Amino acid sequence: MDFFVQQIVNGVTLGSVYALIALGYSMVYGILKLLNFAHGEVYMIGAFIGYFVLTSLGGASSPMLPVAPLLILMFLAAMLGAGLLGVVIERFAYRPLRDAPRIAPLISAIGVSFFLQASALLLFSAQFRTYNTPQLIPFSTGLEVGPLRISLVRMLVIGSSIFLMLALTLLVSRTRLGKAMRAVSYDREAAAMMGIDVDRVIVATFFIGSVLAGAAGVMVGLVFERVFHFMGFIAGLKGFTAAVIGGIGNIPGAMLGGLLIGLAEAFSSSYISSTFQNLIVFGILITVMLIRPTGLLGSPVLKKV
Amino acid sequence: MPRIGTDEWVEQQELRTEYYTGLTAPARRAFDRVGPGPRFFAFLGICALFPFLTDSPFLIRVGVNVLLFALLALGLNIVVGWAGLLDLGYVAFYGFGAYTYAWVSSGQFDIHLPTELAILIVVTASALLGLLLGLPSWRLVGDYLAITTLFFAQIFVELTTNLDRLQLPWMDEPLDLTGGPNGIPGIDRMQILGIELPGVRDYFFLLLIVFALVVIGLYYVNESRTGRGWRASREDPLAAELMTTPVNRLKLLAFAMGAAIAGLSGSIFAAVQTGVFPQNFEVVLLIMIYAALILGGAGSISGAILGAIIVASVPEILRTPENARFLFYAAAIAVLVATMRPWQRLAVVVGAVVAFGVVVYQLVALAWPEGVEGETAGGRFSGLLGSWMVIPAENQELIGNIAFVLLVAGVLALTQLRGDARVMLLVPTLYLASFVWENRLIAQPSVTRQLLFGAILVAMMTRRPHGLLGTPRVENPV
Amino acid sequence: MAALLELREVSKSFGGLAVMSRLDLHLDEGEIVSVIGPNGAGKTTLFNLVTGIYRPDGGDILFDGKSIVGKEPHRIAQLGIARTFQTLRLFLNMTVKENVMAATYGNTKARVWQSALRTPFARREEREVDALAEEKLSFFGKRLIGYRMEQPAYSLSYANRRRLEIARATGTSPRVLLLDEPAAGMNPVETHEITELIGQLRDQGGYTILVIEHDMHVVEGISDRVVALDHGEKIAEGSFEQVATDARVVEAYLGAKAVREGKAAE
Repeated sequence: MDFFVQQIVNGVTLGSVYALIALGYSMVYGILKLLNFAHGEVYMIGAFIGYFVLTSLGGASSPMLPVAPLLILMFLAAMLGAGLLGVVIERFAYRPLRDAPRIAPLISAIGVSFFLQASALLLFSAQFRTYNTPQLIPFSTGLEVGPLRISLVRMLVIGSSIFLMLALTLLVSRTRLGKAMRAVSYDREAAAMMGIDVDRVIVATFFIGSVLAGAAGVMVGLVFERVFHFMGFIAGLKGFTAAVIGGIGNIPGAMLGGLLIGLAEAFSSSYISSTFQNLIVFGILITVMLIRPTGLLGSPVLKKV
Repeated sequence: MPRIGTDEWVEQQELRTEYYTGLTAPARRAFDRVGPGPRFFAFLGICALFPFLTDSPFLIRVGVNVLLFALLALGLNIVVGWAGLLDLGYVAFYGFGAYTYAWVSSGQFDIHLPTELAILIVVTASALLGLLLGLPSWRLVGDYLAITTLFFAQIFVELTTNLDRLQLPWMDEPLDLTGGPNGIPGIDRMQILGIELPGVRDYFFLLLIVFALVVIGLYYVNESRTGRGWRASREDPLAAELMTTPVNRLKLLAFAMGAAIAGLSGSIFAAVQTGVFPQNFEVVLLIMIYAALILGGAGSISGAILGAIIVASVPEILRTPENARFLFYAAAIAVLVATMRPWQRLAVVVGAVVAFGVVVYQLVALAWPEGVEGETAGGRFSGLLGSWMVIPAENQELIGNIAFVLLVAGVLALTQLRGDARVMLLVPTLYLASFVWENRLIAQPSVTRQLLFGAILVAMMTRRPHGLLGTPRVENPV
Repeated sequence: MAALLELREVSKSFGGLAVMSRLDLHLDEGEIVSVIGPNGAGKTTLFNLVTGIYRPDGGDILFDGKSIVGKEPHRIAQLGIARTFQTLRLFLNMTVKENVMAATYGNTKARVWQSALRTPFARREEREVDALAEEKLSFFGKRLIGYRMEQPAYSLSYANRRRLEIARATGTSPRVLLLDEPAAGMNPVETHEITELIGQLRDQGGYTILVIEHDMHVVEGISDRVVALDHGEKIAEGSFEQVATDARVVEAYLGAKAVREGKAAE
């Protein structure tokens, strides 16, 4: 029973991270009908930024700041850095291809993803870095409620994810920017004709999506500690799977998809086999794609002939 | 660029009446007159001479790689260039062909089929797999198809890495299907029509023959109803369907043919390498094949070949610092020559870069002597860099990294500037590029390669989507 | 004699919106019938249903006496129904001749391996397709032949692109042509040419033609019969004069007030 509950905790933790990454994919797809393959790399850079902030302030073993401000600083730096990176990518790799056939920005995105991975390899080398979280926040601190044992780090991760997702939902549903984002995702031309600055809305979308990915990067660094140049690829694929399963372009869908993938991964790696956990996740995706291509919460797209 | 409703043929009438002038005129006129057939055979002839021009087995192996790449690019061209489908799992067919050949021609299961039969099995199995993986294209379009195929490729890597300990319930010992991360070594050499193929040179000629047959076959297929069907499906699938073209069936055919070619190449690759390993078939290779096709020009047979030649030879040239350095500066000059007109402007820029470098060198030498005492990778021309290129002795890596970031920023900024401002920024940016090259990249060929291919994809799609030899396309207003 | 093309009580809805309600329509061999009606009346939907893009929710569609409901669009096209589009949908990056040649796919048989090896059969079929394309293109006079045949389709002028669209449809060797607003965007001279062309298509080409048109000059000039639709229902059918002055048709186009003001016939 303990084990089972533990897997749920793992699953929810993983799921929150995947949900944050998935949101970036979903938002960008909703607004541009583009699969931003480079999104995983943005997450990776976020993780590295968090790492460098941590080590430049003394590292986990001898931090110069108390834990809370240190963490906040890491998060802010990673989120901001990731956000800026996302904006730059949009500006130079996607904007020129706004009206090109769909294949073009996809290939460009693949190129960006590859370039970023290689850049990270060049700048940071292939060496694995570690956040060394237990030195900062001992694993023993945490909550114990019956069979549920959840460390402080994981609570932090889940909590901040929920906070960010709530903030996003409020942004999309209550603010003018959110309304503009929804309008642009329905019909870009009509939105432009209604006086919405489409370019700005798109930049904002990329920024927000990348900010979330950056936060996810720091969270993964805190929970799983290992940071390396290739981490964006697999996490990106899974975040992407989550977005598609939930219905790409759909924000609650991304959250749901993330949670499902996180739980699936936690349970399949512990109960079935950790070797094949990726395969299982991909298998789920392919099944969903073939049965219900628009995802669990997505809506079918009507095309006028 | 082409525009809808404008008759370019009429507009370019004047240009058309200008003949080639100068020394190369007769050659160029002859080239125009001669059709694609003779041109291709001339090209084949040059290729056939290649193994006799060198004794080094390494170089011939490079030639083999180039031909393999060309076959892969040609196969991908069917799916992406002609049928317009985004298949991100293509490299899995290559791997599947290699592993299938390994299964029937090695000690893994102790099956040693005659080569002809093995190849037949490989090609058929690959085509069937292509059909299978193409099935999602029936229901999915564009992005969704890209995702699904990408996942198939991932699944392939996972399977090949992990299927060495498959514990089936009715078996005592785990089944080793793929040799896991260590792959399957000891693959038989091929034997075609009784002729043994022991050496690299033999495989080169085998590949050359296969290559020639594939190119000729594809050329004719493209000119036939199938080619038209693919192109019509790419232009407007709905209209094509209503004009009697069974679009879905043609998509499957494209997948199957592309897969068959990839599988065939995979089998020859396995025989040449005498072993297959999961690392041979990773995403890097997929990116390279795409880079080759996009660079050369998707939709064009000659484009696929040219792109493959470039992309396959670059990593080899980057291996040794001398060659790499030569390639870097030659490529830089080539790009400048191709993009800067008139001659005077180009000379000014090159001169300015040299002067800039010398000045910077002197300044750095004065202010911080260790800054210029470092060493760069040796080889030809490294002496020439003497008083021009700043090579720090300390913190080389850190400075180089910072320079790299600045370089990327500079290049991005350059795309936004025009005229004199652009030229002014170009000079320090070029120097910075050389700096990053000499201090960081020259010693890291694999990273350089990856940076290059990623950059090629982005640059090509944003600047010249039809590649070097493709024709510019007009897009249907949606 | 049974009709060549027949719709029996065909209905279609999208979500809750009924775009077609129990429509009866027939087309006899050799006829030219025009379909008119205000925007949203269901005219293009009619074409989409006949060509198999949509599947009717109710009723049946018969071609040459046999039901074609549920058949794939390319099969229906092969059986002999071809169409043009309201917004042109040419294969812009293919040459003019290739556009027409591409339309012969379903009526040709060369397999991939035969094309790759250039067997005599494949070569012969290719020559036939080539000749057929030239023949269909020369129907339009000098406009689409000569050097133009090797030019990419995007280089043609608007009117020529409209003509190519029709030429391409004839490349499928159809029995029925569905022309969706063939005169859209044309000036009076071109419109007149189109009117004559449609007649020639029937007289010389032998095609049975169903036309959607807004330009009443064209409708008047070509039609053996006119059918008026509104909100997915047939509201009038008959000769041009009968339909043009029918009270319901006037009301659909001009509003009830026009009827009261006496625009309709008694």
